[in-house]
Amino acid sequence: MTELFITYILPCIFAFVACMAYSLAYNIHGVGILVCAGGAALGWFIYLATAPLFGSDLLQIFVASLVISVYSEIMARVRKYPVTAYQMVALFPLVPGGGVYYSMEHAINGETSLFLSTLLHTLGLAGALAVGVLLVSSGARLLNAGARRRRRH
Amino acid sequence: MDYDCLLNLVSELGCRLMESGAEIYRVEDSVHRLLQAYGVTTGEVFAIPNCVIVSVSIDDGRPLTRVRRVPSHGTDIDLLERYNALCRTLCVQTPPLHEALDALKNVPASRRTYSLPVLTGGYCLAGGAFCLFFGGTPRDAVCSALCAVVICLCLAVMDRMGTNQFFRTLVSATAASLLALGSAAVGVGENSDLIAIGALMLLMPGILFTTAMRDLMAGDTVSGVSKTVEALLIGCAIALGAGAALWLTHLVGR
Repeated sequence: MTELFITYILPCIFAFVACMAYSLAYNIHGVGILVCAGGAALGWFIYLATAPLFGSDLLQIFVASLVISVYSEIMARVRKYPVTAYQMVALFPLVPGGGVYYSMEHAINGETSLFLSTLLHTLGLAGALAVGVLLVSSGARLLNAGARRRRRH
Repeated sequence: MDYDCLLNLVSELGCRLMESGAEIYRVEDSVHRLLQAYGVTTGEVFAIPNCVIVSVSIDDGRPLTRVRRVPSHGTDIDLLERYNALCRTLCVQTPPLHEALDALKNVPASRRTYSLPVLTGGYCLAGGAFCLFFGGTPRDAVCSALCAVVICLCLAVMDRMGTNQFFRTLVSATAASLLALGSAAVGVGENSDLIAIGALMLLMPGILFTTAMRDLMAGDTVSGVSKTVEALLIGCAIALGAGAALWLTHLVGR
């Protein structure tokens, strides 16, 4: 039970707190803060929970970014606020910040092959994140366009 | 219909939406809706991150165009939400044009912002939490929170000095990484890499990257590409800053 807590729940709580604090930097106020942070925690939970299923962090990031994007599209429609507001902050824990640092560390230490593989992996993670965002945003466009057409007829 | 006033109103709204960090399609869509609400169906609008161009044809067929240069800007969600809400009400109520322009100009006065101490607190907490999130120990988290405070103050000071984003990020990343490596060397922190990563996360251009992707998918390729390049540049600035700090500590350690 405690093991489950440490591997699954605790990181999500940290992501929640970090994103809650970080949303101040984008001048988000009120309930919006909790919505953003909730999205971040949800996304990270999906990332962790799909680990045994896929075993590849590229796929995990992709699925997590899909879920967060759907979550923020729904939240934006419910609260009639711009989608980006939620999506941007909620995606934050998925951004490969560690990769940038480690690739630089390898570069400074002169470990060229490690540097290249870390750098490519980092770019791959960013790409997986982007594809998740892209898919949901084009899906939402499709639904929107369909709804508008139905209203006109 | 006073077309000059209408053109001023819609271009001002577009410009302000862009400045508060809206995506391109939102800016273009809002301007379009507002023009239609005032009964102008011949309006065209084109927006890229630095520029908004609005053009309408007036009754006798002459075209009127207004170009607005948008200064370099960050993201302010509160302001964005307010302009968005104002645009919705203007489209429904269509008040006289000068009243609408006044309402638009009054929006910044009613906005809420966080003071620097609160913002610093936010950065501090976020830095510490990100460090724990990446697997740091509580002692690491304290160091990371300190680094995050340095980043926040660096950003605030350099923002006031009017430096560009690349340089701002580079200097903040260097300062934070140096502090992280220093705190580990002194023995306060345990893992210098986790401390640095926790603090550097706050500089990552994740937000720019997501809006770039959304712009690309919406068909605004020019804006999408220019934002992607901007995000990559900021990423490079972080990497260079961290690299500079690592290199300096190698020199001292030798």
